[in-house]
Amino acid sequence: MLETVVQAVINGLLIGGIYALVSIGVTLIFGVVKIVNFAQGEFVMIGMYISYFLATYFGIDPLLSLAISMPVLFVIGVGLQHFLIRRVLGLGDMPQIFLTFALSLLLMNVALLLFTANYRTLHTSYSDLALHFAGLYVPVAKLVAFILAMVLSGILRVFLHSTDMGKAMRAAAQKPEVAMLMGINPDRVFCVATGVSLALAGAAGSLLMPFYPASPTAGQVFVLMAFVAVVLGTLGNIKGALIASLMMGIAESLGIQFVGADSGLIVVFAMLLLTLAFRPNGVAGGSAR
Amino acid sequence: MKKSRGQTPTKSLRRRDFLIKTAGGAIATTAFGAIPLRGWAAEPVNIGGLYPVTGSFAQIGHACVNAAKLAVEMVNEAGGIKSLGGAKLNLILSDVQSDTTVTRTETDRLISGNKLAAIHGCYASALTLIASEVAERAKVAIITGSSTDMLNKGRHYTFTPFARASQFAKAQLQMSKLVSDKPKVAVVFENTAFGTSTSNGLKEQAPGEGVEIVLFEPYSAGFADAGPLLNKVKASGANMLFAVSYLNDLILIVRTVKQIGLKVGINGGSGGFVVPDFYKNVGALAEGLQGVAHWNHDVDANAQKVNAEYKKRYGEFLFEYGGGLVAQTFMLADALERAQSTDPQKVRDALAALDVSSGYAAMAPGGKVKFGPDGKNVYGHPVGVQWQHADLASIFPKADARAPLMKS
Repeated sequence: MLETVVQAVINGLLIGGIYALVSIGVTLIFGVVKIVNFAQGEFVMIGMYISYFLATYFGIDPLLSLAISMPVLFVIGVGLQHFLIRRVLGLGDMPQIFLTFALSLLLMNVALLLFTANYRTLHTSYSDLALHFAGLYVPVAKLVAFILAMVLSGILRVFLHSTDMGKAMRAAAQKPEVAMLMGINPDRVFCVATGVSLALAGAAGSLLMPFYPASPTAGQVFVLMAFVAVVLGTLGNIKGALIASLMMGIAESLGIQFVGADSGLIVVFAMLLLTLAFRPNGVAGGSAR
Repeated sequence: MKKSRGQTPTKSLRRRDFLIKTAGGAIATTAFGAIPLRGWAAEPVNIGGLYPVTGSFAQIGHACVNAAKLAVEMVNEAGGIKSLGGAKLNLILSDVQSDTTVTRTETDRLISGNKLAAIHGCYASALTLIASEVAERAKVAIITGSSTDMLNKGRHYTFTPFARASQFAKAQLQMSKLVSDKPKVAVVFENTAFGTSTSNGLKEQAPGEGVEIVLFEPYSAGFADAGPLLNKVKASGANMLFAVSYLNDLILIVRTVKQIGLKVGINGGSGGFVVPDFYKNVGALAEGLQGVAHWNHDVDANAQKVNAEYKKRYGEFLFEYGGGLVAQTFMLADALERAQSTDPQKVRDALAALDVSSGYAAMAPGGKVKFGPDGKNVYGHPVGVQWQHADLASIFPKADARAPLMKS
């Protein structure tokens, strides 16, 4: 019994790491640019295909192709902010929602056209390996993905707190007008924030590839959880999103174990409702940073 | 309106043409007895083929079309329909777009726009049900490998030469005894119409087959991680796992079982599990996994011959539905031969009287085809298969087994 519980927690924690990368991206754009990016899942999908094709045609391990998918998505993010999002800022919520939602549909359908609906699976030497101890198992690919996800989150935190650009980003997030008076160029800061956010989505895609099949709709599976985590972890709060993602992964896993495999999400949403009822600003309280 | 106006003249022209030629043929046959006629081109026999070559079934639909074309070529190369003066089969294809509404209009259009002897289609049961309704009303025979039992209810022009869905569940349960004398089965199924109906079939028949179901678990299709679900399977103590899932979830399940090191046999059922694409995605992990099929390329020597030709052309083995389709085309040829006519009613009657036990028309598990009043092949049964060396081998029942069970 104890073994089953511990195993369920391990499973939940590991997948929670992937949820975290996606939700941190969403919460970063929301916190800084104040826009909800509904297309975040599609950028995860793009990251998956980048890693898939690099592995298939050039034999590059998906974990190494992180070094390619992240910069590529960073550039896409800067372009997205500069050419599209910038034009709808200050126009109210509706145009912003339509923009990113339309982008999501567009990217999914373009992928369907280019790559077809077929699943594409990668087999790496460590795809099916697992560490076994005390009757428990830890899949290597997911463990590596989890560790790298935590490392990337750590780097992001250092970046936001210790570099000028990071501090500028936080300043622009708190009060854009004041930040502008201090000589910060918000356009530039927003471009970097969107770029970093998409780079994290790309990282999630690459990290998923050794154990999850790529398909045009693959991003959708992860983006729903990411949105819940963003709300649960206080909108715009990176640490909150990280903790909430891990909590949700564990709650989902335990839910499947003890409630039912088709009701794992019930536990997650019950947790969301309770949190909103008792801590309306999310687990991290009222602060968005 | 436009359509019918445009087609009427050609249609009557053809009919007149046909009458003249048939009359000529009749006179010639009486004059020369059974000697085949040379230098006299017989009117081709139109066969309709309804397959989804776009939409969600596009990939498998294309493969069906490939198999259907190969079958027609084989019949024609062997001399066509001899009783019709060596008439060649002419396959008229129509794309049903993986959509039930389109299937209805396309079947209608195909039947009314062409003079068809019979039709075949449509891979997916949901589509075949619609096509079969339209064909019944138009009184044109349809022959299909689709497995839903509903195709055998109150129909007179629908023929199903292969195993029915209800037989698949039974075979799956019996196969679990290959793994253990006391099979403890965990059934995990996606909570959709497909998953629920298939798994209920398994649950209902399990006690009769002496199989204990230790876990019966619906799950939400399209999960991020199969770990939690398989943790449940592990805790249930099952030694056999039935997964009623589409490809994506099945890939994750198979990989996770391997990671856990769970000692459990897996039966992935039919459909997407018994096509070459499954192995492409799962790779060596598929080795030893079991499934069920209504046809397999090792059922007899003829099937192996067709498989070799298909493999040469398309680079992968001939899949369940495609192989069945080749056999179906030969069943139609057999019926046409006996009907000595392309009249759909006569072809239907000849199909109903079909009774074959040799040749390409008989390449089915059991090797015999004869239709009962419900259009079901009275000898029809599924074959249990196992992935062995990147190929599907028939392993169950004993009479149909072509390879020993691979212990994993």
